[in-house]
Amino acid sequence: MNWLFHLGRYTLLMLRSLRRPDKHRVFFGRVLTEINNLGVNSLPIVLIISVFVGAVVSLQAAFNMDSPWIPEYAVGLTTRQSIILEFSPTIISVILAGKVGSSIASEIGSMRISEQIEALEIMGINPASHLITPKMIAAVIINPFLITISMVVAIFGGWLGALASDVITGDAYIIGIKSYFKLYDVFYALFKTAIFAFIITSVASYQGFYVKGGAIEVGRCSTQAVVNTSILIIFANLILTQIMLT
Amino acid sequence: MIQAKELYKSFDDLHVLKGISAVFEKGKNNLIIGKSGSGKTVFMKCLLGLIELDSGSILYDDRNFSRMDFQEKKRLRQEIGMLFQGGALFDSLTVEKNIMFPLTMFTRWSYQEKRKRVDYCLDRVNMAGSNELMPAELSGGMNKRVAIARAIVMEPGYLFCDEPNSGLDPKTGVLIDNLINEITKDLGMTTIINTHDMNSVLAIGDQVIFLNQGEVAWKGAKEEILDTTDPVINEFVYATEMAKRLKGK
Ligand SMILES: Nc1ncnc2c1ncn2[C@@H]1O[C@H](COP(=O)(O)OP(=O)(O)O)[C@@H](O)[C@H]1O
Ligand SMILES: [Mg+2]
Repeated sequence: MNWLFHLGRYTLLMLRSLRRPDKHRVFFGRVLTEINNLGVNSLPIVLIISVFVGAVVSLQAAFNMDSPWIPEYAVGLTTRQSIILEFSPTIISVILAGKVGSSIASEIGSMRISEQIEALEIMGINPASHLITPKMIAAVIINPFLITISMVVAIFGGWLGALASDVITGDAYIIGIKSYFKLYDVFYALFKTAIFAFIITSVASYQGFYVKGGAIEVGRCSTQAVVNTSILIIFANLILTQIMLT
Repeated sequence: MIQAKELYKSFDDLHVLKGISAVFEKGKNNLIIGKSGSGKTVFMKCLLGLIELDSGSILYDDRNFSRMDFQEKKRLRQEIGMLFQGGALFDSLTVEKNIMFPLTMFTRWSYQEKRKRVDYCLDRVNMAGSNELMPAELSGGMNKRVAIARAIVMEPGYLFCDEPNSGLDPKTGVLIDNLINEITKDLGMTTIINTHDMNSVLAIGDQVIFLNQGEVAWKGAKEEILDTTDPVINEFVYATEMAKRLKGK
């Protein structure tokens, strides 16, 4: 019952956000600002996490596959597949849900409780298409770039890991990451990244848009936004994997 | 002129507006007074269409607001200015961009034209030169003044103020009241002001309605309110120690 109510209200909000923006030039300016806020500002955390996790994945692979029966290139291959298929698109998206989702929910939530959203409405401006749509567009555009960068950096991190492992050589790792490469995997990863980006921005915006009360409720809604978006990403991941890889 | 006819609104079991009718005249300060929680804000937001009515109709100079479609409402809203209780300035924008915002959204003016209008409005509220400040840098009174400047930038025919001097010291409150009064008279706006401040009532209350338990319990002009014998209104008017002592004299 309760989740049906939220689903209905969320759908209505999304329909409102699809209306034509009130002024196109202002709208594109807002999209650019959001690309900067949501995308460029997330780059440092994405880089740091990617390089270290990439290194750890290849180290783990190297130690666990240290056997004469397994070809050396398997380490690179495993690392590359783990990173491209799951680590970069899914785990980095969950991390972005934490960073971006909480900031969107608290930004929009505090605009709600300080009546700024009503101020927009009074002026005859559609607050959904003014505030929410630019965030959704920005994230759907920029997150696939972030994830692509994450893949490259994580695979590079994997190479550093391979060098540090003493189990395989750097050359064997590079042969591994070049073997059996399918472009479709990257397409699949970026496609699901875009879906996750939409989930993060739309759900976090929804959460903030309907906040009632004061500062405590804004804090609570921003936590709730992170929890909800993370869970939804994991679910969506399961469904998309079923559909796209089988 | 704005007319409200038989407005009803409840939230679940809480009946906030129980058949409120009122006429708010042009060029006058129309005050809505009543205790906290008496439904002043809900009433105002119903007039503005921010809260959906259960029943009743609202006329803006003979245009039936309740029957307007989306586009007509949008056009009407450009004739409405609103001063929110907390100012509701966009806190990511400078003072100048806040005031300029409606112009940017709804006119094709050049920056110079917009800037001229913003400077005029800032001057009007005695805030000239504060263009580049951020809302977080403003005091309570300055915040309200900038919010007034933003509310009047489109030269609205209707101005709504929700508790314009709550949270301000009495002297600043008087300044804000006078400012709203002056602007209302100069621009010939239909101004509606929510307040629980008796001082505002006596200073600028051209027309006053008193809300109590979801109904209009009294209406009249500022001077008359001191002489009513109705105990409920007296309790409100003479709520403060100061008022009680002055009455005794
Ligand atoms: N969105 C809402 N949902 C439920 N109850 C509300 C809502 N808005 C206001 N109320 C209730 O309506 C009553 C009147 O509130 P309000 O108009 O804000 O009072 P005032 O502005 O006169 O202080 C209060 O009891 C308040 O709790
Ligand atoms: Mg109120």
